Amino acid sequence: MKREILYEVDGVALDFSVGEQHVTAVQKGSIFIPKSEITIIFGPSGSGKSSLLNILSGLQKPTSGSMKYKSENIYTSNQDSLAYYRAHELGIIYQTNYWVKSLDVLDNVALPLYFLGYSRADAHDKARSALERVNMQSYTHKYPYLLSGGEQQRIAFARAIVNDAPVIIADEPTGNLDSKNGDRVIELFTEFQQNEGKTIILVTHNLEYLPIAQHLVQIQDGKMTQIEHKDITPTVKQLLSDVQNRISTLAAKGAKK
Amino acid sequence: MMRNTRGVDRKILLMIAYRNLVSKKLRTALTLFGIAIGIGSIYFLLSFGLGLQNIVTNEVIGNQSIKTIDVTTPNSRIIKLDDITNQRVGDIAEVTTLGKAYFYPGSFRLSNSESDAIVYGIDEGYEQLTYLDVIEGVLPTQAGDIKNPIIINIAALESIGLSSNPSAVLGQTLSIQVPLEKVSDNLEALKQEFTVAGIISSGGGPEVFVLSNVFRELGVDAATQLKVGVKDVASIEMVRSQIESFGLETQSPADTVEEINTIFRYFNFMLLGFGGIGMIIAVLGMFNTLTISLLERTKEIGLMVSLGARSIDMRLLFVFEAVLLSLFGAVLGIVGATVLSALVNWLLNLLAGTRGVDGTFWLFSYPWWLFVGAILFMLFVGFVVVWLPARRAEKINPIDALRRE
Repeated sequence: MKREILYEVDGVALDFSVGEQHVTAVQKGSIFIPKSEITIIFGPSGSGKSSLLNILSGLQKPTSGSMKYKSENIYTSNQDSLAYYRAHELGIIYQTNYWVKSLDVLDNVALPLYFLGYSRADAHDKARSALERVNMQSYTHKYPYLLSGGEQQRIAFARAIVNDAPVIIADEPTGNLDSKNGDRVIELFTEFQQNEGKTIILVTHNLEYLPIAQHLVQIQDGKMTQIEHKDITPTVKQLLSDVQNRISTLAAKGAKK
Repeated sequence: MMRNTRGVDRKILLMIAYRNLVSKKLRTALTLFGIAIGIGSIYFLLSFGLGLQNIVTNEVIGNQSIKTIDVTTPNSRIIKLDDITNQRVGDIAEVTTLGKAYFYPGSFRLSNSESDAIVYGIDEGYEQLTYLDVIEGVLPTQAGDIKNPIIINIAALESIGLSSNPSAVLGQTLSIQVPLEKVSDNLEALKQEFTVAGIISSGGGPEVFVLSNVFRELGVDAATQLKVGVKDVASIEMVRSQIESFGLETQSPADTVEEINTIFRYFNFMLLGFGGIGMIIAVLGMFNTLTISLLERTKEIGLMVSLGARSIDMRLLFVFEAVLLSLFGAVLGIVGATVLSALVNWLLNLLAGTRGVDGTFWLFSYPWWLFVGAILFMLFVGFVVVWLPARRAEKINPIDALRRE
């Protein structure tokens, strides 16, 4: 089957100034994101992963280059159109769960639909369905910030799928979870990609999850490197072997002391 | 590029704004209390000012219709209020009623007691346009079979010591004497007996009223005063200028009302100034609440923008919070001020009662426009106060907001 390209990031760079210091968050580079696949953007902390994700989310205009979604450069549009792009085309999950604290689970999950102009009743119907899909239907009238990290992440997942957006973007979604809850969230992503053909863009520094990806983007000091599908398995093996070697070296040093 | 054609439902933004206020119960209650005190103090003081204005106006104007014009002549030898002049005044399009009054100083005698009094001769038109507060009997034009009817006021009865039982005077014979030589050289004095048909409470000094034809039959050809009823208050000025063009002088209760209004306009502004002190506290409280709310919810706003909310929606969210605070605060303030004013009024009536004041009075006035005006004013203040926080909410960068810890 022919691979379809959803995002084309062409010659994109992102610079900004912090006080007198000039920071290059993303070095000039080009990548693409294939449609209906899991793409993982990985790299160490501070490497520019989140900056790239912000560019893809329509939240951060790059300093140079173009970012095309469905062949359209979204940054040539006005702010309202960008807001519509986020509400209609994206489901977003963050590492830290952010909520509108005065609203219960049902209203929080329904938020993206409110921003699309849904009535409260229609949005509630869809939000209930989304909560059922992540087995959180009994939590509708609880306040999300009072729930456990794992429960919150599932509700965040329900919020990301409530608008049936073609793309789900997740920024370190397992970062604050234990391995069991992390694995369950990752299972949800693979399930949605496989069963519903969603495009998943996952940012992580956890190398364990790399094998679920069909496409990888490595980012190191702002430099983006794309790893093609055929190279994923050997790359992951190499990366995991590097990690293993580092652990062994550190363990040996510890034993000498 | 795709475009959001629907936008967020305003009712949902209102719901989020409401939920946020409810979730911060103590802060919202204190802010509402501050707003209620601010707008309530203005409402209380203005309703007091307006009530006082009403009392003063009623005392001064009494029950005179404001749609009347009193017409007199500056020189009765040159311009007379005779039939020809009366006809000309009556022909003015906006004039609805014309009343004639003849009044001269004279004296009356009743039950062997005698006193000076102003003797009025009035016709039906004058009776209609002048509120003569009948407490016993009837007015002269309604006396029917009573021969030579006369009405007398309480002040006249007081002057001869008969005010304690006014009804006993009804039907008694009262003789009056009015020297008319000064009116015209060839006129004889009015000396006639009348039957008391009614007693009125109006008038500060002794006054008696007979039918106008009593003077007409004696040969008095010009009235002392005309009372002109006009269609509406707006036409008073036009009718007055027409009458004055005949060389006559005019006066209207509207003049007095206007003077009272001018004085109270300044008075009410002064009261507004006092109320404004409370309002400043309310404004500061509201600004503080909205600013704290903005700072606390920077992340929430960042989240909502990242989920697809438009910047204008975030601005509206804060505007709705301000509107809710203003509206509930204003209603609370107005209700509180009304209850307080009723309490104050009751206490003052109680105090006045112990000092021998008869009857009750209402010291406050609550016209509908004061209620609507207070709410609209508070909404306006809310819009001004929220302007800065709402603008800041609109400009929040979601990336910075979500990065904040």
